[in-house]
Amino acid sequence: MDDRHLISRVQAGDASAERELYDTHVERVYRLVYRLAGDADQAQDYTQETFIRAFGRLGEFRGEAALGTWICSIAVSVALNGLRRGKRLRTREVALDEAASAATPERAAEPDLRDRLARAIDALPEGYRVVFLMHDVEGYTHEEIGRTLGVQTGTSKAQLSRARAKLRRALADFARG
Amino acid sequence: MTGDDEEPLDPELRDAARAYHEPPEVPREALWTRIQLRRSAEPGAAPGDPPAARSPRLLVWGAGIAALLALGVGIGRLSVHVRPPLRADPTPVAAAPAPPPQASSPAAAAPGRDAAAYRLAAAEHLGQAEAFLTLFRASVREGHRERLAPATARQLLATNRLLLDSPAAADPRLRFLLQDLELVLAEIAQLAPERRGEDLKLITDGLERDGMLVRLRAAVPAGTGAAFRKGVL
Repeated sequence: MDDRHLISRVQAGDASAERELYDTHVERVYRLVYRLAGDADQAQDYTQETFIRAFGRLGEFRGEAALGTWICSIAVSVALNGLRRGKRLRTREVALDEAASAATPERAAEPDLRDRLARAIDALPEGYRVVFLMHDVEGYTHEEIGRTLGVQTGTSKAQLSRARAKLRRALADFARG
Repeated sequence: MTGDDEEPLDPELRDAARAYHEPPEVPREALWTRIQLRRSAEPGAAPGDPPAARSPRLLVWGAGIAALLALGVGIGRLSVHVRPPLRADPTPVAAAPAPPPQASSPAAAAPGRDAAAYRLAAAEHLGQAEAFLTLFRASVREGHRERLAPATARQLLATNRLLLDSPAAADPRLRFLLQDLELVLAEIAQLAPERRGEDLKLITDGLERDGMLVRLRAAVPAGTGAAFRKGVL
């Protein structure tokens, strides 16, 4: 289905076209925001907000990228803004928690690879993390990432390379062991 | 600059990365319902209206879901333990004047009041379930493919579980009814689009066999569930 044709049907008030647009893109949107948020409630909120905005702004879609890419760019923006808001709120709570748990001993057992990697991914700078998750985890190409995030393909490649390097360093002792 | 093809991650790391925030199955129908409800609630939704605003049938299901959400929130609030207010004034008990009857009676009456509230919430829920199942059965007989039915069933299921965990379930008759209702709602909530035909027949056959609608009508005092019926039927 041609994006333009689908969009014109949605704009003409065709309910089945709205559902078609949603069905075509919801899986990709939900997977992406879930990867970023790691929480089902947040992922649902961000997916909902993405489609509300996409339907509301369809008139602004210029066709410079595929419709799916345009919707994913909204999704990333919604998710990152939501996560930044959440992070600001959590910062104060963490400060209090750290004070309370200062005397708690370290865990004796060595966490497994997945736990260590998850923490290393969490610690990546936001741009690196998004590119890494989109490319290495969700399988987006650098061209798609560039168009989704509004950056050059070379920037996407550079950020992925740095993200991988940071992850390798963070898990170096694990690789040696 | 190093390209991604030059230094890929080790296969072990890449596999572990794929487990990072691994998404569950997309709750497609529930999300679509949420989007429709949000869009229909937005002011100035005239041109390019969401389907809910154009289809009366979808609108009534949507109104039903909104009523269920409100009931669920109400039951959730009831579940919060009612505590007497903390005394800000550390006056010794012996020196404190006897509290006036108006001040002590609400706290003393709270358990009785809560029980009545749970009974009312249960009656409201059963009324809504009966209205939903009646509409569902009629839709199936007319050959409609109601996309919102599973979403509505999920909302009812959530309320049903709250009630099963509440003091309302202390009544064995009500508990058995809620347990049977849970099975029916779970079946509707899990309706898969590709297997709807045979699943629908199994569900409606089960409704008839268990006499679920008759039992619900017997358990619901006249007048309850009116809000949902107003929206749905």
